[in-house]
Amino acid sequence: MAKYNAMTQEWLDAWKQKIATSKEYKEIAKNWEGSVSIIVNPDPEKGIPEPIYVFTDYWHGDVLDFLICDKAKAESARFVMSGDYTRWKQVAKKEVDSTKALMQGKLKLKGDLTYVVRNIKTVNKVIDLLCEIETIWPDEA
Amino acid sequence: MEEGFIENRATSVPFAGILADLLTANLTQRSEKRAVYDNMRGTVAIELVDIETAVTLVFAAGKLRIEEGIVGRPEIVIRTASDRVMDLNALRIVGGLPWYFDEAGRRVLSHLVSGRLKIKGLFTHPLLLTQLTKIMSVM
Repeated sequence: MAKYNAMTQEWLDAWKQKIATSKEYKEIAKNWEGSVSIIVNPDPEKGIPEPIYVFTDYWHGDVLDFLICDKAKAESARFVMSGDYTRWKQVAKKEVDSTKALMQGKLKLKGDLTYVVRNIKTVNKVIDLLCEIETIWPDEA
Repeated sequence: MEEGFIENRATSVPFAGILADLLTANLTQRSEKRAVYDNMRGTVAIELVDIETAVTLVFAAGKLRIEEGIVGRPEIVIRTASDRVMDLNALRIVGGLPWYFDEAGRRVLSHLVSGRLKIKGLFTHPLLLTQLTKIMSVM
């Protein structure tokens, strides 16, 4: 299986492809409308000298833009999730549940929380598919 | 919605902020939930045992105060894990009562039976618990 460097456009393309080809996702996400940004806080010691901004967009089971972007684009998303690199890596490796990280304040969410809770299966499925990607992490390379 | 209808005194507890945000959104968007909220009186504690976090919700007819930890003698104490507490928000309300006969309801029942979810006051304060479920439900 191909490996991808974390938080690169190639990695995002692979993630998008995983989601787009998942029949289960298409069914679960048929009501989801809107974009989700991920902000990775800088951590120079882990190889993240600057914040990383990721924009992902979803519409009724379809997958739209998946982009490394700038701060303004990231903040324009319907939902914005932010956290430290280590936390995101733990989520992507399934070492930490994203809900638990939210409850602990280790990840933060901006946006309508009731919508996210109503659609938590969609969120969890997107994360599950991310976990399936063979990822090379900057602090492990 | 008027200012100050939820007073979060547990600002150092991220879970309290999430609860306050969720309730604010729910009560602002759904007038039927606001009507229930306006009649609620009582104290409910929620403890997330895996992350050693607890908050107490003190309801007083249209006002809510969120305190850090378990404060006083709550009528209801809900104990569960952080990744399961949102299952309670997914309960549907049918005919004015929580609905346990769909996937979300069966999941909550399964947590109760297995002990992964414990509710002190389940049988002694059913009205307050039903009111809480109604205002917390996002469905």
